[in-house]
Amino acid sequence: MMMPNDPTLSATQSIGYVVGGGLKENLNIRLTIPAQKVLEGSFIVVESGDWLFYGIATDLLLGATDPRFADEQSGARLPPQLANLLHGQTLFTNLVMLPALMLEQGPDMDSRHYSAWRAAIDAGEKEEPRPLPVKTLPAHHSPARLAGKEDIAQIFGKPEEKWNFVIGTTREQNHPVCVNMEKLIQRSAGVFGATGTGKSFLTRILLAGLISHDRASVLVYDMHNEYGLDDTASDTGQNVIGLRTGFGRSKVQLVGLGSSASIRGTRPDFNLVFSYSDILPEDVELLTRELNLRETTPATLEALVHSFSPAGWFKAFREMKVDAVVDEDGRQVPAPGSVADWANENGINEMAAKALHSKLKRLFNKEYLVEQPPTDSFQDLIEVLKKGKHIVLSFGDFETDLDYLLVSNLLTRKIRAAWGEMTNQFRAHDGAEPRQLVIVVEEAHKLLNREMASQTTFSTIAREMRKYYVTLLVIDQRPSRIYDEVMSQLGTRICGWLGDDDDISAVLSGLSGRDALRGMLARLQAKEEVLMLGWGVPMPILVRSRRYDQDFWKAVKGAKREDIDMNKSINTLWPG
Amino acid sequence: MKNIHVGRLLRANIRGCVAGCQVSQDFPDFGALVVIPLGEQFKIFGLVTDIHIDDDGLVRQLAAAENVPDEVIQDNRLNRNIPVEMSVIFIGHARGETISHCLPPHPPLSLDSMLECSDELLCAFTGAGRFGYLRHLLNAEDIPTADLLATHLSQAGNAQAAAGNSSWLTDATREVITLLRDDHATLSGVLGAIADIMPAQQTKNLGAIK
Repeated sequence: MMMPNDPTLSATQSIGYVVGGGLKENLNIRLTIPAQKVLEGSFIVVESGDWLFYGIATDLLLGATDPRFADEQSGARLPPQLANLLHGQTLFTNLVMLPALMLEQGPDMDSRHYSAWRAAIDAGEKEEPRPLPVKTLPAHHSPARLAGKEDIAQIFGKPEEKWNFVIGTTREQNHPVCVNMEKLIQRSAGVFGATGTGKSFLTRILLAGLISHDRASVLVYDMHNEYGLDDTASDTGQNVIGLRTGFGRSKVQLVGLGSSASIRGTRPDFNLVFSYSDILPEDVELLTRELNLRETTPATLEALVHSFSPAGWFKAFREMKVDAVVDEDGRQVPAPGSVADWANENGINEMAAKALHSKLKRLFNKEYLVEQPPTDSFQDLIEVLKKGKHIVLSFGDFETDLDYLLVSNLLTRKIRAAWGEMTNQFRAHDGAEPRQLVIVVEEAHKLLNREMASQTTFSTIAREMRKYYVTLLVIDQRPSRIYDEVMSQLGTRICGWLGDDDDISAVLSGLSGRDALRGMLARLQAKEEVLMLGWGVPMPILVRSRRYDQDFWKAVKGAKREDIDMNKSINTLWPG
Repeated sequence: MKNIHVGRLLRANIRGCVAGCQVSQDFPDFGALVVIPLGEQFKIFGLVTDIHIDDDGLVRQLAAAENVPDEVIQDNRLNRNIPVEMSVIFIGHARGETISHCLPPHPPLSLDSMLECSDELLCAFTGAGRFGYLRHLLNAEDIPTADLLATHLSQAGNAQAAAGNSSWLTDATREVITLLRDDHATLSGVLGAIADIMPAQQTKNLGAIK
């Protein structure tokens, strides 16, 4: 559905005036134009004296000076023109505006006070005006209008400014709305939306922005093999360009899980294989639900580590047999080197050890776990990321939750350790500053739910923010299943349509004005509109997201070329 | 068109007056704008809110009598001692060329002349200011507010439209609605009266804007 986009409604045209409200209860604006010309989520500007107040429309309410005017159908009793006049004066629509920011615009430029105001700023006696969280209110009858291009640029930045990436446009007037990539990566971020609301496309757009701006390396855990190579849109059947295709191998590397990985018939740039020694007991404990492990597991694992060392327990346990032999007395006893034999020797319940061994067989035979990997693929991966390239880790045929949980957690733990070491060296003046890294986690609730969050490295990363130069970009359709503590740490939240009340509450957790924003999330137009909010954006805003198509890629590549040309020009003018 | 003499004042106060005239003479319609000049520079404006014809003893006898000849009835009508009385509500005044929609500072005196305003003066008075005079009509008690407003709007609207100000009627009606929007009963009555009194052609002009 196309939204009303009235070309006659210019950015300077008043849409109404302030009739009441407060900081806690939002502002009420009496509309002087038909209600259909303004939609929920519109970016509204109120001018009051020397200040501009920015906010979004969170509700529209029908009102009447007397309820009887609304009840009676006076059009049937009065001539149409008279009835219209009556309705115009007695029936009205109030727009509820959630005020977010205020900006001092100073006296009118033609005013005699303007030069003194400007001079004070230029002399450093007064701060250059910048958007501030709203702390006061516009006066009664202050005029309100829809935000213009300049207003959007003032709050969200201009597209041509460094680190700014156009994520979409405002719905009514199609003005570009930017996300600051520098700020986006300072804290973990989230992309949410119910199934089929364009979450994957939005993520592709965001990742393309991150990669093209090159402020951070990106590691995508591509569980469903949809981000690296070209795909076909399930609804339109059109080709969807993958990140690897779009940016090329020099920028984005495709990594396959397992030694013989193949992603839709394409060989990856290199394969990721782990050594048995990489598996720690906590990696197994994390799979408690997937493997249906018993409560005796931690004790058994601890004994295994005690017997065979942290690096050797997995291999040793894998090689244990479950055979039994008949002793001299004709009794069946555990064979030497068997699980039962080891359990008996170490005071572990034999049945518990056997059960664990049986359940871990699902891991023992994984192709991506080998005793001696041919190359140190983890180190290769680290080097690629350190060099500023980006990686899409495709899970290929290993699409089960077991594979996803094990590999993503194992890899993230190792990455976190590597980046932690680099950070410590940097802080000890013994190394270069680590390259910022963004880890993209799909189906995040599987790793960040209440039960798992405390055990995984992901929640640690979410809490630490940029301390160790690693942040997360979590993508999920059920944000209510993500642990509250993790959700509250997400800086930028970009959200498509959500229907479930709990999911809506989760996305809005920890944010002011969440009651006003709640209804908006439930009424977003799927595949077109997203709500951006949180610490990473100056104020909540409803955006019509960009189309992920050939034009998008032309724009992304064009922007890259412009950067390159500018660098070239600078180097030519000021060599060295 | 000139202002026409329509009577002389019988009694007055700050808010209004009653004027009398002969039956034989033309007297203004209900809702007409009248003016009472007080010297060269000062005028008081008002609207005719009522026209009443009182009885006397002879009229009562004639009303009760049978077979009263037409000549007697005509004679009694035209040569009666008691004048036709017109109640007027004051809605503004003028000092020189300056029109004010406030009540006059002092009332006119008995036997002062009252004139019916020409269309030109009607347009000048109703076009001055921002319809402030309407409050006197809305606040007054014991006058038929709905019909008076409707009649006045119709008369003034026609005069303004003839003078090229077709939006006046829209603006005035909007002002009436604004003033009465918290009083559903009165506003419904006024709008009903407007719908009844104004010809269809005139209500079509209600949508006109500047």
